[in-house]
Amino acid sequence: MTYLRTHSRGIGRNISIATVVVVVIAILAAAVRFFAPQAFLGLFNGVAKPFWRAEFAVDAGALSSPEQLVLDNEDLKRKLDEADVRLASIQYIEKENEELKALFGRASTTPKVLAAVLSRPPYSAYDIIILDIGADYGLSTTSKVYAAGGIPIGRIAEISRDASKAILFSSPGQRYEVLIGSGNLPATAVGRGGGQYEAQLPRGANVAEGDFVDAPSLDSKPFGVVKAVKSDSSEPFETVFFAPPVNIYGLRWVLVDVSGKHLNP
Amino acid sequence: MNKNTAYRIVADIAVLICIIHGWWFIALPISLLASWLCPYYIEIIIAGLAYDAMFGSFPETGLWGYAGTISSIMIALFIAGAKRVVRK
Repeated sequence: MTYLRTHSRGIGRNISIATVVVVVIAILAAAVRFFAPQAFLGLFNGVAKPFWRAEFAVDAGALSSPEQLVLDNEDLKRKLDEADVRLASIQYIEKENEELKALFGRASTTPKVLAAVLSRPPYSAYDIIILDIGADYGLSTTSKVYAAGGIPIGRIAEISRDASKAILFSSPGQRYEVLIGSGNLPATAVGRGGGQYEAQLPRGANVAEGDFVDAPSLDSKPFGVVKAVKSDSSEPFETVFFAPPVNIYGLRWVLVDVSGKHLNP
Repeated sequence: MNKNTAYRIVADIAVLICIIHGWWFIALPISLLASWLCPYYIEIIIAGLAYDAMFGSFPETGLWGYAGTISSIMIALFIAGAKRVVRK
């Protein structure tokens, strides 16, 4: 009896057109990424930027009613007046601080530019934020990123013409030297993602929740605040968990240092 | 416009919105479904490339920075093979 074969044999015939198309696209994509690594960033950021800007405008209240905007405006003016009073005393202390540093030849003259945060964690992976300025504002891959109040939170990792990608210091696996608590105990902070860090200290280091974590530099702004201390009597070390004093999930504006001199927080 | 083209356009718009916002966990099932329903759904690879270009692929992330591109290519190949076997 003769049976009709229901399908043809052979590896070559089993490779469909779809598979060939996919493989060709994959090779082309790899070639473009290899020879022009910034090409895709510029292209896709160009497509996405209008959407991010529109979302940013909506978040900022562009679609609110005029009455609501007037109320918001009055509320903000009142808060601004209150903040002005507090700012005056802070400015006085900062001026005094700069004068003292200038006295020792260590005054800060770092220029900074304001950038809008177009995309931020938790939706952007790897603890990165996307900013609306790029090479057009003189950013470089050594530029540091600061949150409101001059809190250092990250650094620029990749730049296109009019957008940039900043990696937060809390990105998983990133390591930094820090000083913890009132005793300025040196430790290595490791990023855990989501704006969180951990560091290990000898048990009994006398660090408590609310203690400040500083970066070993003349920058007087705190790097983080201790949120929890995990201690186990069977372990010689205790683990300190800390986070920046600002909420990275609520970042809308940041300052970027355009001098490009610093790499450490 | 036939049904497949309509599915494809809807899926493309949905995937575009999700990728722009970094919602890979929503883009993935939509792409899987669209790959199954539509012939030659290469948009899944473009979505993977776009995700990595916007949110990944800088030196510190190593190969993880290309997770979107690699997984989209693997999914596209797997779906193409699966469709060929199932629909023979």
